[in-house]
Amino acid sequence: MKKKYLKPKINLKILIPLYIILIIGIYMVYSSSKIWANYMYHDSFYYFKRQLIFLILGTIMLIIGYKMNLNKVKKNINKILLLSILLLILVLIPGLGISRNGSKSWFGIGDFLFQPSEFFKIAIVLYMARKLTDYYLTTNKFFKTIIPFLLPALVGFLLIMLQPDFGSGIVMLAAVLIMCMVSKSKFKNYLIIGLIGIFGLGILISSATYRIDRIVAFFNPWKDPLGSGFQIIQSLYAISPGGLMGRGIDGSFQKFFYLPEPQTDFIFSIFAEEYGFIGSFVVIVLYIYLIDMCFKSAIKSKNEFASFIKIGFTSLIAVQVFINLGVVVGLLPVTGITLPFMSYGGSSLTLLMFSMGLILNQSLEEST
Amino acid sequence: MIYYTLKKKINVLRVIVIIMISCVILKLGYAQFVQYKKIDLKATDLWERSFPLEASRGNIYDCNMEVLASNLPTMSVVVIPFQVKDKETVSSKLASILECDKDRLFEKISKKASIVRLSPEGRQISDEKAYLINKEKLSGVYVVQDSKRYYPYNELLAPSLGFVGIDNQGLAGIEAKYDNYLKGKNGSLNYKMDAKGGLMNGFISRMESPVSGLSLQLTINLQIQEIIERELTNAYAKYNPDTILALAMNPNNGEILAISNRPTYNPNNYQDASQEVYNRNLPIWMNYEPGSTFKSITFAAGLEENKFDMFKDTYYDTGSVVVEGRTIKSWKKGGHGLQTFLEVLENSSNPGFVEISRRLGTKTLYEYVKKFGFSKKTGVDLVGESSGIFFNYDDYGELENATTAFGQGISTTAIQLVRAFSALINGGRLYVPKISKSLILTSNKEVLFDFPTIVENEQVISKKTSELMRYALESVVSKGSGRKAYIEGYRVGGKTGTAQKAKNGVYLENEYILSFLAGAPMNDPKIVVYVAMDNPKSTIQYGGTIIGPIMKNILEDALVALNVSKSNEGIDFEYTWMDTKTYEVENYIGLDKSKVKSKYFRFQFVGDGNKVLDQLPKVGEKIEEGKTIVLFLG
Repeated sequence: MKKKYLKPKINLKILIPLYIILIIGIYMVYSSSKIWANYMYHDSFYYFKRQLIFLILGTIMLIIGYKMNLNKVKKNINKILLLSILLLILVLIPGLGISRNGSKSWFGIGDFLFQPSEFFKIAIVLYMARKLTDYYLTTNKFFKTIIPFLLPALVGFLLIMLQPDFGSGIVMLAAVLIMCMVSKSKFKNYLIIGLIGIFGLGILISSATYRIDRIVAFFNPWKDPLGSGFQIIQSLYAISPGGLMGRGIDGSFQKFFYLPEPQTDFIFSIFAEEYGFIGSFVVIVLYIYLIDMCFKSAIKSKNEFASFIKIGFTSLIAVQVFINLGVVVGLLPVTGITLPFMSYGGSSLTLLMFSMGLILNQSLEEST
Repeated sequence: MIYYTLKKKINVLRVIVIIMISCVILKLGYAQFVQYKKIDLKATDLWERSFPLEASRGNIYDCNMEVLASNLPTMSVVVIPFQVKDKETVSSKLASILECDKDRLFEKISKKASIVRLSPEGRQISDEKAYLINKEKLSGVYVVQDSKRYYPYNELLAPSLGFVGIDNQGLAGIEAKYDNYLKGKNGSLNYKMDAKGGLMNGFISRMESPVSGLSLQLTINLQIQEIIERELTNAYAKYNPDTILALAMNPNNGEILAISNRPTYNPNNYQDASQEVYNRNLPIWMNYEPGSTFKSITFAAGLEENKFDMFKDTYYDTGSVVVEGRTIKSWKKGGHGLQTFLEVLENSSNPGFVEISRRLGTKTLYEYVKKFGFSKKTGVDLVGESSGIFFNYDDYGELENATTAFGQGISTTAIQLVRAFSALINGGRLYVPKISKSLILTSNKEVLFDFPTIVENEQVISKKTSELMRYALESVVSKGSGRKAYIEGYRVGGKTGTAQKAKNGVYLENEYILSFLAGAPMNDPKIVVYVAMDNPKSTIQYGGTIIGPIMKNILEDALVALNVSKSNEGIDFEYTWMDTKTYEVENYIGLDKSKVKSKYFRFQFVGDGNKVLDQLPKVGEKIEEGKTIVLFLG
């Protein structure tokens, strides 16, 4: 034997589209935020500089995720899950958690913030992956096997809803359910869950008036154009005039204070305004390609644990992409979810990159 | 390798995810293609702001292109609220300079608008205030160029000209009527504004240039207008009437040469005048019984219908005549006795006109009144014309016919009288009066459009009748009641009027409207002038004696302004004891000082010597009795 062991190659079909999106993303953070940044901090590059740091940190996180020996982690998954649930509880305690935009979702000092719900997402995916792998053959028994598996996720969901962070909760829950659905369990069971889910969602929505407003605004944004319909209308004012070709580089009008915080949830609106249907189409196809390549690598995995990890993290990203774009184009009500890899935000970006690292993880490619 | 069932499910998942995200593309396409037009329009409304660029208003000229209304550059204040840092200080500083309420100013500059024009407090401010504001160097406050309407001759032509408001919009008179032409098309500076009221940097603004308004040339002759204004001012001061008005027209085309009245106002400061003053253009608005001036119309009707030969046929005025039980008196006690019909007109004999009305009959005279354009608007292109009042034919009996014949029971406007009189002397053509001559391109004075001359009735009376009327009217001035308007060398023809004012159907004691309607020269009429004075105080109440001299002054100067030369062919002036006679100056040159004698003139000798070398005035000139002739001796 010339070589002791074959070093698995990193999957470039995932890495390349990912970095194309990241580069477009960081440029869009700059382009969409510069007016606000200049107004608030007298520095057009304020958000750009930070996002660049986050991107570097994210790349480090990606490498960590890539190099990490998941087989070791696998053994400690329960502890990690417990820790993440503990953090979710701690963040709710006054004095420990920090509120931003009405949600008590953050730990941290100054600008360096950490979102325990993001950590929980990773932990729950790892946990589900392990459970579904270990009990794969019995996963067809829905009530006996799947339901107990779902309990930690439901606990986490409730804790996240207490912050409240509806968006993160939904994304996490959706990813967990997708993981369960690809197991041997029957699809009809999810219809029942779906019905219960819709019922639960109805209660959740009606429990907060701002959520009712969002639903009303979704169906008729012009009813309250300066209130609940504001973001939808401003987003539409960006997207529609973009037309086929867009206004061109840096041509957005809506970033001139019309769209609040254009570098976060509605960054794609500005992109669609500047680059039109053609540009938007290319980026959405890039996302689809990236997600599909991740799923494809899940199929090619050497073991079920690797496959479920990839499905879980990919689903997290896919659901988030779908909800964010759906909101931006007016297909879904406003939820407050950022666009993965493009929207500004350190906590989100670094942990998403870490997730991508786990999807690309080399130890997963080793057969066990 | 993983389980086949897992692979199969992942493949299903792939398809579902692709389909779901593709839905986003469909919705995106819907928003960017289907909704594009609708949303883009709405969104453009959101971003775009425009700052009006005011078009400069067209000038108004007289017939010789003398400027009657133009624009003066002034300064106005605009504020860009976004750039104002300390709104409190800025509004209090501006308020103290502009002398206005600070809180209202604060409110204005706090508006979420990109540019606020401080109107009216900051419009058309004085240079001094502009200087003070500029000196303060307030950020976001700008003094910009603006324009203000300016009427160089102040009160001149004011009731017809009208005036403009603070935004240079025509509010009254010609300024209002022709506002669409004069105002031009305002342009705008379009620019993108951000949601905080600032300018979007880096986006080129669109500019729609303002289009200057067209200029308007009037038929008014500034020289004649000035003459009339002068005479009105003098008479208004001297006789203190309620109102006085004057109107001059070219009888050959209906063009108004001058029009004015008192009381009047200064359009530069129209706010100081009452609405009654600036809204009433008296020569076209005020209507009243014309009195004897109307007899000229009746007389022409009689001539046209061959009811008398004015030179041969006679009428005996006994001093009164009874019509349907009502006695109509002659103004002269005992009447004028036996007169030809020409003398009936010259003497303004009421019973004589009752006779003419009887000869014409109700139907014919009624038709003539209508044909001459009375009791309806003349259609002059001025605002606020009245139609006057006349009987319905059903109520028009012999008595009404008789009073109408000498100008009572009918109510007319000055402009109706003037244009009817013009028809009398111009060969019988009744014009629609006009004051607008042409529309002119302001930049190069190119004429774009000439307002047409409109003939309402080609032949109200025949050319022959018109010729007779010219003679008859000249005769009135030379020999009859209009003698005070006689001008040596100009053949003036006209008719005086003295009408008792009526209020609620009852004639007022000692309140008269004195008037004079005249044209000149009678061989080739160039101008018709009408002057009427309402209720002059403490003076003899006859049109001829008071208005006559005013008419004379107007005509004498106006005919010079129109370059009409003097001639001596007219009907000789007939003197009464009241009049001063004129005599031709004889030749004194060459005579000895001792031989110089005259029945009519006095002499003044200049120089030493006994022989007359030269004289002033020259031989053949007519001067009044008792005047002095200067003789140079050597």
